[in-house]
Amino acid sequence: MDTVNNESDNLTDNNYINNPIDTLTLPKFEEVKLSPLQANYYKVMLFNIAVFHLLLVLVTGGLLYFVEAIRPYWYIPVTVIVFLLAISLTIARISFKRRGFAFRTHDVIYRSGAITVNTIIIPYNRVQHVALHEGLLSRKLGLATIEIFTAGGNSSDLKIPGLEKEHAEKIKQLLVGKVLKQDKDANEE
Amino acid sequence: MPMKSDFSSPQRQSLVGVVVMFVDTLQGTARALLPALAIMFFRENHISKVYVGIGLAVILLLTAIIAYLKYYNFTFFLDEDNDEFVIRKGVLNKTRIAIPLDKIQQVNINQSVIQKIIGVHALEVDTAGSSKKEVTIKAISHDLALALKKRLLESGKSNTLTGDIADNNEVTNSKEEKAFIEISFKSLLKTGVTSNYARSFAVLLAFTLTVFQNVEEYVDDYSFEKYITTEVLLRFMFFIIIGVIVLMLLVNLTRTILKFFNYKITKQQNSLLLSHGLLNTRNTIIRPERVQMVTVSRNYFQKKIDIQDIKIKQTSNSDVNSKEQQKSAIEIPGCSETEKDALLQFLLNKIPERGVMLKPSIRKAVIQTLFFLVIPLCFFSLLVYFDTNKLYDYGVYVPVYSIFVIVMIYFSYRNSALFVNNEFIIKQSGAWDVDNDFLAPHKIQAINLKQYFWHKRSDIGYVTLYTAGGTLTFGLADYTRLKQLTNYWLYQVETTDKNWM
Repeated sequence: MDTVNNESDNLTDNNYINNPIDTLTLPKFEEVKLSPLQANYYKVMLFNIAVFHLLLVLVTGGLLYFVEAIRPYWYIPVTVIVFLLAISLTIARISFKRRGFAFRTHDVIYRSGAITVNTIIIPYNRVQHVALHEGLLSRKLGLATIEIFTAGGNSSDLKIPGLEKEHAEKIKQLLVGKVLKQDKDANEE
Repeated sequence: MPMKSDFSSPQRQSLVGVVVMFVDTLQGTARALLPALAIMFFRENHISKVYVGIGLAVILLLTAIIAYLKYYNFTFFLDEDNDEFVIRKGVLNKTRIAIPLDKIQQVNINQSVIQKIIGVHALEVDTAGSSKKEVTIKAISHDLALALKKRLLESGKSNTLTGDIADNNEVTNSKEEKAFIEISFKSLLKTGVTSNYARSFAVLLAFTLTVFQNVEEYVDDYSFEKYITTEVLLRFMFFIIIGVIVLMLLVNLTRTILKFFNYKITKQQNSLLLSHGLLNTRNTIIRPERVQMVTVSRNYFQKKIDIQDIKIKQTSNSDVNSKEQQKSAIEIPGCSETEKDALLQFLLNKIPERGVMLKPSIRKAVIQTLFFLVIPLCFFSLLVYFDTNKLYDYGVYVPVYSIFVIVMIYFSYRNSALFVNNEFIIKQSGAWDVDNDFLAPHKIQAINLKQYFWHKRSDIGYVTLYTAGGTLTFGLADYTRLKQLTNYWLYQVETTDKNWM
């Protein structure tokens, strides 16, 4: 019985009423206020940069120590590393400030990027599954990453890092609930 | 041998199937041993032919034994009690694969060259879960394959759509006579002659440059200048170029005919059955609900003689952007306008009409000019400046290249557009081969808007639509418009009752 009702509802809702839609009055994703990531996540980003550059310094140091021929040119790698570090820090700063997410009634929005601003939007009824990751440092800081997969391939997957663990858990429950509901609806049809 | 239509007891493949197994195994062995063989061949010149012969004989014998064991251990049967199709295989590691019949998506019957020679067919079972087609019966007679295919698909359906079986049978029986669309040999000829110019042109260019260089060196070295006048040289070049063009056309033509010979499309219930190929016969099933994107492409010549290429991207279990997916785009060459419309009507339920047009910003053309013309030319001038002797001669090509690039950019900009209406998104692109991508909004999985920070002031950016069959990117267009469209598409996806698959 339920199924039949459901279907007829759908029909009246979508198929038979066919008024023109004013695209300008649709809800605008660009006007949604995005929540920033946890401030602690900035530490994780800085830590990653630090690890990378430390490795770089170690490798160059080793090379300078063991290969005498390149020693007079020590200033080249040093400049490069300092330059890289400065750029990474700037990008991290901008990128952290830019990142933000929002969960609307029907979709999830995530904005990121430093040189480019990327806004990726996934409707809940296209979510395949949801994963929750915790890095080593992130766990210490009580952070988690939520990853949302669609059938659109790797590049369309959405990763929101720097969420509070509990918050992430709740989001996951919310999304899983929506996905399950979707599947149930699809099966009933 | 049991009765033909009885699959309830385990049975082996056709005995001639050993040959197929043998060739397959040999291929594998050869590939594995090739490096070792190559090293042996180059390192040890003095190795006697007797040893090589013995070695080869041993390898062949082993391969034959393995092939026979593979054949012997491979059995398949229908487990009627559990509604499963069961395959047992493996020489050392035994595997038993059981596929529930209602999980079977498609059953394809194919034929490779070897299989064609010995007169057997391959039967592939495509399931919902696995990414690989791991269930392949490599040698089975055609009648048996057809009977098995019918059984496999029938039993799966009987759980859900009992009423359709009779209908299904009828369709299967009558399909031999009536084809939905048949691509004639003439259309294939036309396609072969008119397609792939870009690739051919690149090869031609590379070839001509090399020839030129060699001829010049030759002339310098042996000072044959008195024999070779400009006229002779020009005539020589002319013949070479004509020769290469003819060769390219022939290669293209052969490729097209080999791949698409006897292209038949038949309707079967709610899906299309495609079969084509001269040596390897491929069978593919297209289901409209699995189709994500359809691309129609044609160039100026093809427009004049009314043919076009249709590429269909379906969902697949493997990663969307992987090479496999690129390969799995189904191609239908040489369709006429009416055939194209019939196909689109069937696949998309409607012939898409163009809606509101959105053109990219002129900056797109400017950026392309910068990348393909200004920067290469600056680089070239710089090189010439520092190294005048050699490169200066190539200065002749600069105007040719410039004109070519400008023409390409001009046409590519002119053709580039996005058309949006309530039911379809159509993206047109390309300079010579003009592509039209058709996408229904409810197939969208995710939307990505991208803007470089230096595009912010002029309010332009890119939009990418992800589907389960590939992506569609349109760019450097009015960002405000793109945002509006995104809101609209999101509205469509979130309110639709249609499934993307």
